[in-house]
Amino acid sequence: MALADAVGTGRVTARAVAEESLVRTGKAQEAFGAFLSMNAALTLGEAEEVDRRVNAGEQLPLAGVPFAVKDNINVAGRPSTAGSKILAGFVAPDHATCVARLVQAGAVVVGKTNCDEFGMGSSNENSAYGPVKNPWDPARVPGGSSGGSAAAVAARAVPLAVGTDTGGSVRQPAAFCGLVGWKPTYGRVSRYGLIAFASSFDQAGALTRSVDEAARAFAVMAGADPRDSTALATPVPDVLAAPGRGARGVRIGLLAEASSAEGGLHEDVKASFEKAAAAFRAAGALVTTVSVPRVTLAVPVYYLTATAEASSNLARFDGVRYGARRGEASLAGLYRETRSAGFGPEVKRRILLGTFALSAGYHDAYYGRAQRVRALLSRDFAAAFRGVDAILCPTSPEPAFELGAKTDDPLAMYLADVFTVPPSLAGLPAVSVPSGFSRDWLPIGMQLIGPGDSEPLLFALARVLEDASGALARRAPGAVS
Amino acid sequence: MRIAPALVSKVAALAALELSDAEREAMAGQLTRIVDHFEALRELPESLLEGDVAAHPTPLREDVARDGSPGPLIEANAPAFAHGHFVVPRVVTRD
Repeated sequence: MALADAVGTGRVTARAVAEESLVRTGKAQEAFGAFLSMNAALTLGEAEEVDRRVNAGEQLPLAGVPFAVKDNINVAGRPSTAGSKILAGFVAPDHATCVARLVQAGAVVVGKTNCDEFGMGSSNENSAYGPVKNPWDPARVPGGSSGGSAAAVAARAVPLAVGTDTGGSVRQPAAFCGLVGWKPTYGRVSRYGLIAFASSFDQAGALTRSVDEAARAFAVMAGADPRDSTALATPVPDVLAAPGRGARGVRIGLLAEASSAEGGLHEDVKASFEKAAAAFRAAGALVTTVSVPRVTLAVPVYYLTATAEASSNLARFDGVRYGARRGEASLAGLYRETRSAGFGPEVKRRILLGTFALSAGYHDAYYGRAQRVRALLSRDFAAAFRGVDAILCPTSPEPAFELGAKTDDPLAMYLADVFTVPPSLAGLPAVSVPSGFSRDWLPIGMQLIGPGDSEPLLFALARVLEDASGALARRAPGAVS
Repeated sequence: MRIAPALVSKVAALAALELSDAEREAMAGQLTRIVDHFEALRELPESLLEGDVAAHPTPLREDVARDGSPGPLIEANAPAFAHGHFVVPRVVTRD
């Protein structure tokens, strides 16, 4: 990042960068509702510490880079509400590991971003603190659940935002806001300090404007962590040199099921998918079609297994150890009243669905069967990757939709996750990269999926599409700078 | 499968949630529609589902003692805290 180079070489101070970013952050909050909390004193203090480290001769790969953090990820001394009333007032005791790694690399936290409550949503309309608007068109959603993180970067308040991706919550908002968004191979980035939604899916990822910035964030955030037993201890693949490698000779499979998706592809997304395939052919890739048959079942599998995990993970919010408390007459009443008043409708719906899927009499038919189909889907992907190196499909079947368009129909909202949940179920890395625009200038994103540890290849291919689309040159009309 | 309001009530009790009558009715309709859509999973032939279910078994770490002492924010974040403990409503009575 040019900014990191400027701060690292002393041409500009981290404090000056932070001051400017705080101004922009305030504007992005006012215009789009992108942030839930800011703390200028903490931000400026951290920036001054970066200046001290630079002056002492430290080489910091992200020196002075301001970044935003989704509010379901802990940042020491700042609130973590996860977009929920039930965590109102909670202050994080320490950094999530991914945040600590970014801070160690010289990046500076400027604020916590709005999100769907506990990461449950695809439009950022499920936040207890109000929806987020899309900087490309404020009548439309930014995607979710990392909608505030996406809006913050698209509005140019920050060049980097951290999000969490359980079933597409980094990739889909990246697509809706014209950004690059990645989720890693499961375990490549530590989950320590993330407020758990569905532990076998949850991963931290990042949203940036460019593929180069995305790769730099990955290189810093990835790595082993003794505080997360699911964090991979194997060496982190080197992504920093990857974006320039091109696509020559790479076997890319166009996901066959994308063209027959339930409800169909929006015609502008279909056209962008075809253009992306042509761009890869022009770059020397070997483009074919590949089938992952059980992709069509991924939404049911995801919404049965992820909600089952959520019903267990969210049992901890009971009014005893943190957050808001209601009902003091009895312990059982305290649990019920605290949870009933604290959780929003979508969170309750998912807890009920997950509890149902795990309950006696229904477990084998729903949760058990979903787990078996999940394993089958992983085998489908393994078979597909014997014939291709990466799979290409749209990130979302449609561009950003209007606020309120799907709030009365939860199933329609779930079905929009059709392309993002399959790699989550199989623990595979995936990157969403801008591929062009709809006729009314809404961003469209394409998703590249690879086998485990294929992040270098995915960033290389994403860069090819970024160059071909020219999307990097356009700025959101709502940009605050 | 129809999710009746009574089943919603039973599941809500398991999840320590209270729902109003209107919420229960609405939830029953929405969950019925969602679960109906999910019935597609039942149509897969059993022969396809053989094999290892745990595609990503949870790795276990060595059982080594670590300093897990809570910092001062543990108390600051608690709704009620006294003598080093979280305070909850009385659970034991004389009767």
